[in-house]
Amino acid sequence: MILLEPENVIIKKIFNEKLIKPTSVDQTFVDFDGVRYHVFTPNNKVKTELILSISLACWSELESFGAYDVLLQHYGSSLAKGLEAGYDVSIQIDLNQIPSDPEQRDGFINNLSLLKRNAMSAPFLQAFQTQKQLEGMQVPTDGSPAPQGPLLEIHYRNQEAIYIQAGIDRVTVIFSTVFQEETDKIFGRVFLQEFVDARKLPSIQTAPQVLYSTREPPLEIRHLPNLIKSDDVGYVTFVLFPRHFSNQHVAASTISRIQLFRNYLHYHIKCSKAYMHSRMRTRVADFLKILNRAKLDKSESERKTITGRTFRSR
Amino acid sequence: MAARQAPIVIDNGTGWTKMGFAGNSEPSFVFPTVMGLPHSQSATGSSGPGRPSVAAKPSHLASKRGIDDLDFYIGDEAIKNSKSYGLNYPIRHGQIDNWDLMERFWEKSIFQYLRAEPEDHHVLLTEPPLNAPENRESMAEIMFESFNVQGLYIAVQAVLALAASWTSSKVTDRTLTGTVVDSGDGVTHVIPVAEGYVIGSSIKHIPIAGRDITNFVQQLLRERGETVNIPPEDQMRVSERIKEDYSYVCQDIVKEFRKYDQDPYNWFERYQGEHSVTGRQYGVDVGYERFLAPEIFFNPEIYSSDFLTPLPNVVDEVISSSPIDVRRGLYKNIVLSGGSTMFDHFGARLKRDLRQLVDTRLTNSELQSGNLQKSSGVEVNVISHKRQRHAVWFGGSLLAGLPDFYTSCYSKADYDEIGPSICRRYSIFGSST
Repeated sequence: MILLEPENVIIKKIFNEKLIKPTSVDQTFVDFDGVRYHVFTPNNKVKTELILSISLACWSELESFGAYDVLLQHYGSSLAKGLEAGYDVSIQIDLNQIPSDPEQRDGFINNLSLLKRNAMSAPFLQAFQTQKQLEGMQVPTDGSPAPQGPLLEIHYRNQEAIYIQAGIDRVTVIFSTVFQEETDKIFGRVFLQEFVDARKLPSIQTAPQVLYSTREPPLEIRHLPNLIKSDDVGYVTFVLFPRHFSNQHVAASTISRIQLFRNYLHYHIKCSKAYMHSRMRTRVADFLKILNRAKLDKSESERKTITGRTFRSR
Repeated sequence: MAARQAPIVIDNGTGWTKMGFAGNSEPSFVFPTVMGLPHSQSATGSSGPGRPSVAAKPSHLASKRGIDDLDFYIGDEAIKNSKSYGLNYPIRHGQIDNWDLMERFWEKSIFQYLRAEPEDHHVLLTEPPLNAPENRESMAEIMFESFNVQGLYIAVQAVLALAASWTSSKVTDRTLTGTVVDSGDGVTHVIPVAEGYVIGSSIKHIPIAGRDITNFVQQLLRERGETVNIPPEDQMRVSERIKEDYSYVCQDIVKEFRKYDQDPYNWFERYQGEHSVTGRQYGVDVGYERFLAPEIFFNPEIYSSDFLTPLPNVVDEVISSSPIDVRRGLYKNIVLSGGSTMFDHFGARLKRDLRQLVDTRLTNSELQSGNLQKSSGVEVNVISHKRQRHAVWFGGSLLAGLPDFYTSCYSKADYDEIGPSICRRYSIFGSST
């Protein structure tokens, strides 16, 4: 289980359960990066009608990158905006309308569980498109900067953001991430260093190039005004080449993977810590064994008072 | 983040783990508390696993250590893969037995199932009554140091079960004084709680619970010769279904037998099953076991020969061994929790039997005092409610939804300042008394 899956397990579970036996439901739950979901039956008498709403921290930004249209492609007319206060987008689902063929049904539910991924995919799709348009242009030889797409910013968390920029032959994706703990920072650095090193292995030469820096933002985003300068911030840059997104199938999985990168990183920091902890526990147990071996045996000789009497211990 | 994220509520029991988000009425996930580890890592016995494996030859930085520690499954997936993975149970008798496994269990349940960033959430964990403070400290160490949670609250399961009863329409004041009858799969506990604190010296356990009822149903079916119709590998499952779908508690066992004998067509039910492998249909008559199955709580002699005290007597003993000034409160608020208390009329029967015991005792003492002292009577009340099955989790969800929750939590700042010993202190909140 190295990778985190892009789909939400709770959505899958709820819909699979309700398909077998529709009952009224009202559940709120979350996904990574401050995403909140709400599934409920708006009418208690019609148990087959459900509404799935999602709220994203960066919805206004995503919308400006065409997220709503992307979602329309995925969910069609069942999509509605502002159906529920406090949530950004809702999908109306009628359980009777779900195809009964098991394969199609799984596909439908899977599609629902990818709601967050689909919403977040909009800026990536836009950047990939811009790259295609720029592709024909020549790199200027007179030293002036090469033509570039606009820098797309997605502030998906409080202090963290994704920056996406299309170039002539590449799309650059930059993550900023904040480490709250001193230990996390160190684990993060080692982990990301391994990323850079691992790419040297012959088997993964085609992987996107990864660059990593702490404190100093990469050149592409250095001009931005509101970057936080502190030791806690790290920047990870991925350089995607057309081979990573020219094929539609590959592009989809690239988006799924790269979106979850931040969570992936933090998940593995935690896993590494858990691993270290378990090694520490075994080590402590070993040392305790050694210490116990050093304990003196109880002295067997009877201790006597000066008059020759003994104490009895009770 | 604009809105505060809902707290995570995790109830790790010996058999099942219930987890979800505060504010919901049912847990998002309920699965067995089990881990599937590759056979090389599997623990042998209860001694804990051996040393975590390290790759033999560090040739390159990236391949320095394997990722064996990520190769495991939890819950239903572990059981599905039990052919190639050894099953390990990190919790024994309600207490966490293997912290290494538990840490990884949590890591997976939070990231892959709940899909939450622990940094953004407060967490509510549960502990059994009489849990050692060292265990609380270890819980806090893992939660704060591995997962960097914002805040942690460790609640006693019995107290959460009491809080869950606040949803019942019969409860008027939100009090944390009462007796909890918690019957799961393995053991039944009777736990007195006074103002949010468990009275440890008076807790009693009954070795009769869900599994025994299932066995008893199976035994009854076998004696009546019904089992010839059921394929042997399905017997356990069929008995379980009969227990859950057809059984109820009767008020008078003799009358019930007469009723069944006079009009069997009306009372006997027919269970239709399907062979799990061949798909062949079969039917079973469901008769006396409908009311006899849960009867083993009230007349244990029909099932077991070593434990003979009926449940109402145990509850009575527990309350009378508690401090005298809380006894009234304990009698007044008897709360049911756990799947094996879900039988119809279970609460009514317990209430009736218990009241008989109490009233007899009161009349006796009045007689002995020569009828000079009149008792004002003791109110006996048993509360059943809709959320009984996952009462502990639901109570946690309810409490974590209160605004007080955030102030009662151990915060990350406190932990960094003082250390795990902050968990030895204990704060009660949410009750109106």
